[in-house]
Amino acid sequence: MILFFLTSGLFLGWSLGANDASNVFGSAVGSKMVSFRKAAIIASIAVILGAVLQGAGASGTLGKLGSVNAIGGSFTLALAAAVTVYMMTKFSLPVSTTQAIVGAIIGWNLFTGNRTDPGTLTKIIATWISGPVLGAVFAILLYMLIKKIKKSAKLHLVIFESYLKTGLIIAGAFGAYSLGANNIANVMGVFLPAFSLQEIDLRLFSLSSDQQLFLLGGIAIAVGIITYSRRVMETVGSNIVELTSEAALVVVLAQSLVLFMFSSTGLSDILVKIGLSPIPLVPVSSSQVIVGCVIGIGLYKGARNINFRLLGEICMGWFATPVISGLLAFFSLFFMKNIFNIEVGYKTAYGMPRADAMAGIAGEGISHIIKYLLLGILIAGSILILYYYFLERKKTRELRASEEKFWRNLK
Amino acid sequence: MALFTRTTKNLILKIDEFFDNVELGLLVFREGVKSYINKDMEAFERHLFKVDTLEGNADKLQREIENEMITHSILPQHREDVTRLIDELDEIIDTVKSSLNEISIEMPEIPDVLNKDLVSLANTSANSGEELIPAARAYFKAPYTVREKLLKVYYFESETDKISRNIRKRVFREMKEIDLAHKNHLRYIIHHIENISDQAQKAADLLSGMAIKILL
Repeated sequence: MILFFLTSGLFLGWSLGANDASNVFGSAVGSKMVSFRKAAIIASIAVILGAVLQGAGASGTLGKLGSVNAIGGSFTLALAAAVTVYMMTKFSLPVSTTQAIVGAIIGWNLFTGNRTDPGTLTKIIATWISGPVLGAVFAILLYMLIKKIKKSAKLHLVIFESYLKTGLIIAGAFGAYSLGANNIANVMGVFLPAFSLQEIDLRLFSLSSDQQLFLLGGIAIAVGIITYSRRVMETVGSNIVELTSEAALVVVLAQSLVLFMFSSTGLSDILVKIGLSPIPLVPVSSSQVIVGCVIGIGLYKGARNINFRLLGEICMGWFATPVISGLLAFFSLFFMKNIFNIEVGYKTAYGMPRADAMAGIAGEGISHIIKYLLLGILIAGSILILYYYFLERKKTRELRASEEKFWRNLK
Repeated sequence: MALFTRTTKNLILKIDEFFDNVELGLLVFREGVKSYINKDMEAFERHLFKVDTLEGNADKLQREIENEMITHSILPQHREDVTRLIDELDEIIDTVKSSLNEISIEMPEIPDVLNKDLVSLANTSANSGEELIPAARAYFKAPYTVREKLLKVYYFESETDKISRNIRKRVFREMKEIDLAHKNHLRYIIHHIENISDQAQKAADLLSGMAIKILL
């Protein structure tokens, strides 16, 4: 039953992987610089690593917005957010998982009578606006840098493009890592307060309760990338690369930096140490940051016509998505509680630590499942990488043989 | 990563080798025409054989470059343009080979008074093709210099046109001693030589567009 409650979060993770992976690898795959298979493997590994190693930062902020204290509530919120994302995508409306989950949490707060912390809410909304703006600033700076390097280094076009290709793979991996670190909060954030799993000790490293949930969420995102992101990467991704290949690299890099910034506790701590204010660790929409980056490059290149329609759509997304998701969450919680008689949460005193006795008991079983799942993934992953390596080698050898045969026959 | 670097370096070497072949082909063409006009048939046959080998090499390199670009996903955004450029350059060395072959098969009788003009025509036409090669090389290393390098191609092409027009005018208006069939044959040979500069101009137009595209 406990696992069933997680399915809505996993579904949300799957749709995030299917849609948002194109933001990091779409340009590389769309331009045929990197094959989809290679991109999917790299993105899947990086997204899981990002989620497990650095997912706590942004999730903490969501927890401050609303600490969902019953698993029924977490399930309903993730489902409401997932349905909002699905419906808005279906009607081709701009949507962000981040905004959907924030709206759903506010809906839960309203339903259970919990207080929505205005400070946290302001911080989150400010980040939605500053994310694309920062993306634009980073994109302009990086673009200027790359242009300068290109002109002064006088590299052969083939070498420059091969550096770009390597850069796109590294930036894509960094982007996927940042996406996992930042956006895992959307997928699993609402489940954290309701779950208390037993720590898994794998000798080399151990996984806390939150990390186990992040791992599950990360796997769901990876499955989304592998199963459904191909078409999105090849179509939506190629729209991004209508810029040049160096602009595509800049866009991915700038977006990754923004996502990394808003999820890195380490970076935030460094700023505090040198006397600056900490970075708000908030999940931001990768799609909206990408649009900011593209507009930044357009501005640098002296584009006269900024696509105001696109900007309007983003602004509309800031309001429409949380409102729709919040209303949906509110009514869904009402049905869950009064019709299905499922506990969806209760009012807690402000600032109280999270607690849920039920999840603690069930946690032991789930921890075992996660442990075996992790081992299975490691073994399957190693086999897959080896298979891929030998497949590539065979393909190259066959091609060389056919080429030699052609010239032999021609003689 | 080592394999990746090796592939890239191999491709660069092959592109350079291809350009070398075309450049050498034009040089040999010039010498070939000169030796034919000087009636040194042994040298002419040697040059013909050399051009034949260079054209074969260029064809092989062209195929290898295109294959490598596709199989290793090199230059995905410029691949189409680079392939077209190499096709156009290959057309030049093809024209060089076919021109020398036509001369070798048909053995046109060149009146002595036209010797100097024909050598000059072959020189200017070959110059036009030769000036294209540095511009094509610059596309890969310093694309902002391509257009200034192409100016010489256009200059030599127009010079070739002028020389060709003057020779034809002379043949058809002034040389009453040769018959119409002979005149037509000469026109045909002149057209073949002139064709090299026309091909160079076609490639220059393409390269000029490519240079703008890469700088944007």
